[in-house]
Amino acid sequence: MKDISRLFIPLAGVIVLLLAGCSDTSENQEEADADAGSTGSDETITLGYYSSGSADEKMEDIISQFEEEHPDITIETQNSPYQQFFQKLDTQIAGGNAPDVWLSDGVFVQKYAERGAAKDLTEWIDNDLETDEYYGLDFNKGPEGKYWAVPQGIQIGALFYNKDMFDKAGVEYPDDSWTWEDLKEAGAELTLDTNGNTAENAEFNAENINQYGLTFFNITEGWMPVLKSYGGGVLDEDLQTSVIDTPENLEAVEYMTDGMERGIFTDPSDLQAFQSPMSPFPSETAAMRIGIYARTLAANETGVNYDVTVLPKGPDGERFSPVIANSWIINEDTSDAKAEAAWEWIKYWVSEDDVQRQWAELGEAVPVKKSVANSDMFLNSGEKPENKQAFLDSFEFADTLDVNAVWSEWVDQMTDNLNKTFLNEVEEEEALESADKDVQQVLDEFYED
Amino acid sequence: MILVNTETVKTQRKTKKKKGPVLNHEGKWGLLMVTPYLLQFIIFIFFTLLASLYFSFSSYDMLNPPEWIGLENYNKLIQDPVFWQSLKNTIYFTVLFVPTQTILALILAVALNQSLKGLKLFRIAHFIPVISSWTVVLYVADAIFNPRFGLANDLLVKIGLQPQQWLNDEQQVIPVLVAVAVWKGVGYMMVIYLAGLQNVPEDLYESAEIEGAGVLKKFRHVTVPLISGTTFLVLVLSTITTFQAFEQIYVMTGNGGDITSAGGPDNASMVLMLYLFQQGFSFLKMGYASAIAWVLFLILFVITMIQVKLQKKWVHYEK
Repeated sequence: MKDISRLFIPLAGVIVLLLAGCSDTSENQEEADADAGSTGSDETITLGYYSSGSADEKMEDIISQFEEEHPDITIETQNSPYQQFFQKLDTQIAGGNAPDVWLSDGVFVQKYAERGAAKDLTEWIDNDLETDEYYGLDFNKGPEGKYWAVPQGIQIGALFYNKDMFDKAGVEYPDDSWTWEDLKEAGAELTLDTNGNTAENAEFNAENINQYGLTFFNITEGWMPVLKSYGGGVLDEDLQTSVIDTPENLEAVEYMTDGMERGIFTDPSDLQAFQSPMSPFPSETAAMRIGIYARTLAANETGVNYDVTVLPKGPDGERFSPVIANSWIINEDTSDAKAEAAWEWIKYWVSEDDVQRQWAELGEAVPVKKSVANSDMFLNSGEKPENKQAFLDSFEFADTLDVNAVWSEWVDQMTDNLNKTFLNEVEEEEALESADKDVQQVLDEFYED
Repeated sequence: MILVNTETVKTQRKTKKKKGPVLNHEGKWGLLMVTPYLLQFIIFIFFTLLASLYFSFSSYDMLNPPEWIGLENYNKLIQDPVFWQSLKNTIYFTVLFVPTQTILALILAVALNQSLKGLKLFRIAHFIPVISSWTVVLYVADAIFNPRFGLANDLLVKIGLQPQQWLNDEQQVIPVLVAVAVWKGVGYMMVIYLAGLQNVPEDLYESAEIEGAGVLKKFRHVTVPLISGTTFLVLVLSTITTFQAFEQIYVMTGNGGDITSAGGPDNASMVLMLYLFQQGFSFLKMGYASAIAWVLFLILFVITMIQVKLQKKWVHYEK
């Protein structure tokens, strides 16, 4: 072997061919798949979802049931924990190899829709689904009236309260007559400092609290329901203009800061002391919380004696319940045959009573199909909370969280500004003015192009 | 080690000039052997670097093809107060962290370079934080710095001082992060120093003793100059790690693993890598994130160059 270059060149050539070969095979594969689809034979689709422990097994179960009933469709799954799932998904979309159908957090549906990654499902939904039979289809509509996704399960907000704490303080349980002011008054009696004084006591020390009246966090289970029931909000109907700087919002924010200053509500720095901002209620450090349906899981796990009711009214009787419809999205770039197979899966998921029931048993979400959600199986499952009806009643005044393509980014700006006033660093007016400016800048950057 | 490398390169260069042909027999074999690595480097590193340079001049949301926008990202960067704050925080973090960790690592290494009973146990104890994941370290740190239940506040209250907010306080957040980072990182640098210390010839200490040098003088005039090469390595490595610090700040300041809340309170602990990640992966502004990455690279490059230039003044390599 005198001349090494003789070996070197072919070797390099082989490697290059190998690399080129990889991409060739996948293209051929896709062509073959497309051909197969057009002749009506077998179709393999990839399905992506974020996993959440016990739910994975159930998901696999339902998938194999689907495959049994649809022998011409094979489903390959891709799943990872929440954070990684969405990071990976974004890179997969960038690389053109995203799953054919995936489960999206409800607040990300518009992010994919407005950037052209989600397939428009309007026609299929109109043709194949009785829209009245389902909760939440409209929560995935864009401002232009198109459906971009179909709900997989619904998260809707209600007021959780710890019955033992109410009994101990001799306070009556909350009901649908409550306003936010009523909540604060009751909350004051339920807030205890380290010496056992309530927030109504003159010797109460708001710096050293053992038990909060209400725990309060971020947008969905924090400021948004309050802003909206006070008649305020963040974006106008076209979802491209900020309406933050209004007297209604000011009143709502003053209500919240007052509650935090008096120690009745948790402020952002109080929450830092907990392992998770979600833990005060299940760990019985707070008597009430604004919670979506999934929070029943943690509360049931720690065995809190609690129930739920609808969220309180604003000063003018307006009510608002936040809703997040985690949904199935079909990849815009997927072939027609695969998209149709994916649509079969979605239809199977929402319309089959049995599937809906199996999923509801996990207790993660309110079922999408109204008949199942209103059945005994969901409402009287024997698990807490007793008054699950409150979640269903809340649909009457439920809406999304002003979700648009840049939702995460404007929420970040809004939260930063609100936290400053929650922590008493700036006045309420100033925080709203500055939030208005920052949020509008985010919107302009995206929508002005 | 560094010296050996440059020397070999120099000799190679010299031989190359003498021999004439671009690659001799050995050179060709060598090239063949590194071909897999080179291909991997070209495909997975070189091209991705080029791509990120291109993205930094474009508007790119990952879901749609990038659009060339020239210097717009860089212009925006200059006017972005959060970028400047992150840069300031990163520098502040580095200035606190690098000297503290280096000095502590040296002290520990010297202390653990003697013949002691249970020496290995001590060395292992200092190395355990290095191999622990940040999530585990977070729980340890929380047990100490939690404003409600932490040991640090317990202690302060017991001796009659005011409890502190630690990670919730804009002034305290970076010093607390640095303290935890030093605790986690010092063991690694200690090991590097231990290796350096073992290369210091015993006879130099003996001659110093004969000259009448005490412990401190021996340390100052024998140990410190002879391990200056190691110190240089430790400084460069720690500077690069702090500029790229991400995971720690993400887990320690992100409320419940929420990336958008990390870097608080009010951006007081927002560092460049975190800001880059947030812009790129949470807000899909990959073009802007790439611009941040290139600015970060330039800053690191300049700092490392300065360190390399300055090393001639104080780093002593044994001939």
